[in-house]
Amino acid sequence: MPNDGSLPTASPPAAPELSATGIVKRYGALLANDHIDLSVARGEIHAVMGENGAGKSTLMSILYGLQQPDEGRVLLRGEEVHFRSALDAIGKGMGMVHQAFKLFHSLSVWENIVYGAEPRRGVFIDRAAARRAVADLAARHRLAVDPDAIVSKLSVGVRQRVEILKALYRDARILILDEPTAVLTPQERDSLFAVMRHLAAEGRTILFVTHKLHEVMAITDRVTVLRDGRVVERMTTAETNPREIVRAMTGRSVSLTVEKGLSHPGATLLEAIDLTIAAPGGKPLVDKIALKVRGGEIVGLAGVAGNGQSELVEALVGLRRLDGGKVLVGGIDVTDSDVAARRAAGIAYIPEDRASVGSALAASAADNLAMGFHRTPPLARGGLIDAAAVARRARALIAKFGVKIASESAPVGSLSGGNLQKVVVARELSHAAPALIAEQPTRGVDVGAIEFIHGQLVAERAAGRAVLLVSSELSEILALSDRILVMYEGRVLADVPQDKANEETLGLLMAGRAPEAA
Amino acid sequence: MSAAPQPDARALSRWRPPSAAIAILFAALVGGALVLASGVNPAEAYAQIFMGAFALDNWPNTLNWATPLVGMTLVAAIPLRGGMINLGGDGQLIIGALVAAIVAIYLPGPGPLVAIAALIAAAVAAGLYAALAAWGETRHGVPMLISSLLLSYPAVGVASYIVRFPLRDTTTGLPQTALVPEGARLMALNGVLNVGLILIAAIAALVLFVDRRTVVGYELHMRGINLRFAGYGGVRLDRQAMRIMFVSGAIAGLVGAIIVLGSQFRFIDDVLLTPSYTWSGLMAALLANGEPAGAILAGLFFAALQTGGFAMQRETSVPRVLTMVLQSIVILFLAVRHGAGKSRE
Ligand SMILES: Nc1ncnc2c1ncn2[C@@H]1O[C@H](COP(=O)(O)OP(=O)(O)OP(=O)(O)O)[C@@H](O)[C@H]1O
Ligand SMILES: [Mg+2]
Repeated sequence: MPNDGSLPTASPPAAPELSATGIVKRYGALLANDHIDLSVARGEIHAVMGENGAGKSTLMSILYGLQQPDEGRVLLRGEEVHFRSALDAIGKGMGMVHQAFKLFHSLSVWENIVYGAEPRRGVFIDRAAARRAVADLAARHRLAVDPDAIVSKLSVGVRQRVEILKALYRDARILILDEPTAVLTPQERDSLFAVMRHLAAEGRTILFVTHKLHEVMAITDRVTVLRDGRVVERMTTAETNPREIVRAMTGRSVSLTVEKGLSHPGATLLEAIDLTIAAPGGKPLVDKIALKVRGGEIVGLAGVAGNGQSELVEALVGLRRLDGGKVLVGGIDVTDSDVAARRAAGIAYIPEDRASVGSALAASAADNLAMGFHRTPPLARGGLIDAAAVARRARALIAKFGVKIASESAPVGSLSGGNLQKVVVARELSHAAPALIAEQPTRGVDVGAIEFIHGQLVAERAAGRAVLLVSSELSEILALSDRILVMYEGRVLADVPQDKANEETLGLLMAGRAPEAA
Repeated sequence: MSAAPQPDARALSRWRPPSAAIAILFAALVGGALVLASGVNPAEAYAQIFMGAFALDNWPNTLNWATPLVGMTLVAAIPLRGGMINLGGDGQLIIGALVAAIVAIYLPGPGPLVAIAALIAAAVAAGLYAALAAWGETRHGVPMLISSLLLSYPAVGVASYIVRFPLRDTTTGLPQTALVPEGARLMALNGVLNVGLILIAAIAALVLFVDRRTVVGYELHMRGINLRFAGYGGVRLDRQAMRIMFVSGAIAGLVGAIIVLGSQFRFIDDVLLTPSYTWSGLMAALLANGEPAGAILAGLFFAALQTGGFAMQRETSVPRVLTMVLQSIVILFLAVRHGAGKSRE
């Protein structure tokens, strides 16, 4: 064991709840997991950290039986197990919540939870018993969900609770949470943490994958750090600090603050005038929003998810029809233009959903990076694509953004989450478009990459471009924005200059308190 | 959440024999069992199929059968590459055939020019008819799967009416048009073969080129992988759907025209659809998941299989329908394999 962190306080009890020894997983020439040893005690919340592509998700899917290791053993309470599928793992009391949830959207919450293990009466599902069981379970774990709600209508945070309940319904003793907080609002994250503490106190064991240092500090007992598929450090949370964890992950120190000079705003490059999106039979999703982003400034758009930010952004980029108002790019009215025309007018867009909007998973990195550049020189001439130019450009971007990928012709579906995000960010930033709309640009990327992407956004600003930053990370908004707009129920509630903004005032505004009260 | 095990991604890490090859092998085994059950030596039946398709003398027949079949494979493969399904090949083929017959019979002028005009008219008419299905989807939300299929029936019905009544060749008493004048027929090459073969081969080459090397091909492929990604990247999806369906329908129209102008020299009701080129073409396209090179190969394979089937039927007591059974088993096997692969993830 390299660098054994067996500190006196961290000595695990006799038989660890879960332990893995010598886990090896290869993907072709790539060693995703390289003799990993991991041991987790009962009732422990154990963080697994590491840079994008370090092998965290691979390890988790091995523990959960989704993948079989090439070498190594997995022991549950001292007894060796061989999971051939997730069903085997579930049978042994494992539960996993994936970041991309695996729920049936058209079914109700209770149907999703009992699916595969329904209480029965004869050959029929005992619906009443099932509903009751789900309601009881939710109440016992203080996970507020309506058993009859249809999943497609639920917010991300609630869907995640459904996933957790699904695991608990099968009485999971060990829960694996792979980047569960990436998509949560701060409020949702806090309630998730409350649930996690409660579950750990009950004696359940939690494996928690995250890139967020403050979360690790706040909730975990111990940390295992992976780098390039190997365990490089085991730490006890109480005895370490974020800088040490970062150093272990990256082998260097990463600046956790953003350096940016004074802003010199120029002409307005992105503008919305009275932008309105109606909701069928309800309050408008976006209600007469006016918004201006000038060249050389970063404007943050904050707000609890579901207050109209996504709809606003879709309307700006042309993916959603307006019910009123105008959109201007570089002073040109693009209200009636489609996505292609708006991009031509000068919009680049990092979408919040990298997998289903921002990329084509089965296509190569080269093809993914070409999108939007594929009609014009140097990538295309006279309708013909220059494959060599496409590959060259892809290699350059992969190198510049440090994407961990075998080659530019590998499909991006095989990339780790953070590396996929880098591909999307690299493509959109390379447009050098006058107006950049960045939605959750650092979701799921590691600290080093956050530093890099933040640096790139600041460079865009320095180059006189307009950046609209939409993020659920208040710290990110505060670190980067020159001005901050807070959205609440489809409106911009306040326009706060950076020097007047802090977590507290923004938090109040996001909860819908008028600026005077703040 | 990361590294969502995509089928393509996995293929990288774990080599699997190409599933099409396994499917064909499997079909051959099942087919062999069927043949055996009917008291014929399977080796004998397969040998007959092989000889029937590939013996030197039979090449023209095989190629002649392959011309419309590969044509209809492209008809299905082009939209499928972009995640769209054109089930209306029959209707488009009929429209092309009928329009070609009418133009060739009634348009005065020098023969070769008339033939060219007939081909173009057939392609345009069938292309527009197919684009109608795309229009129904983009403007009115009728899924193309349904609209393309439903549009097929009126086309077939109306064409049948036209050759039975207004345009019927009253001298023969059969539901067919008059003969296309000799000058307007497609030039014969060798025995049954005519320039239609070259035309389809050229189109196939063009489709391959467009797929691999052009902006249009790139955008179509991206659409096929992820529709939302293409839209987000600025591909004009509605326009793309209309154009792709136009091209697909136009090729179907050409196939119809080639049959009329090159082999039958008149529009004969029912005869065009009996060989079900549309469905064999669709299966070939599905076999390759819309990838044009694979689809063309599959189309050629099916053509050889079906041509060989005639020989087998002649030489042994096994009916040629066996080849259609083999074809269906291949597709079924692939569908099951694909579906099973999905549910495992
Ligand atoms: N199915 C696969 N085929 C090929 N390579 C894969 C596959 N799954 C993962 N990989 C590779 O294995 C490495 C580890 O990936 P993994 O998803 O475990 O990283 P991670 O630590 O979870 O990263 P992130 O923080 O970005 O989610 C990556 O380089 C990834 O590209
Ligand atoms: Mg991961």
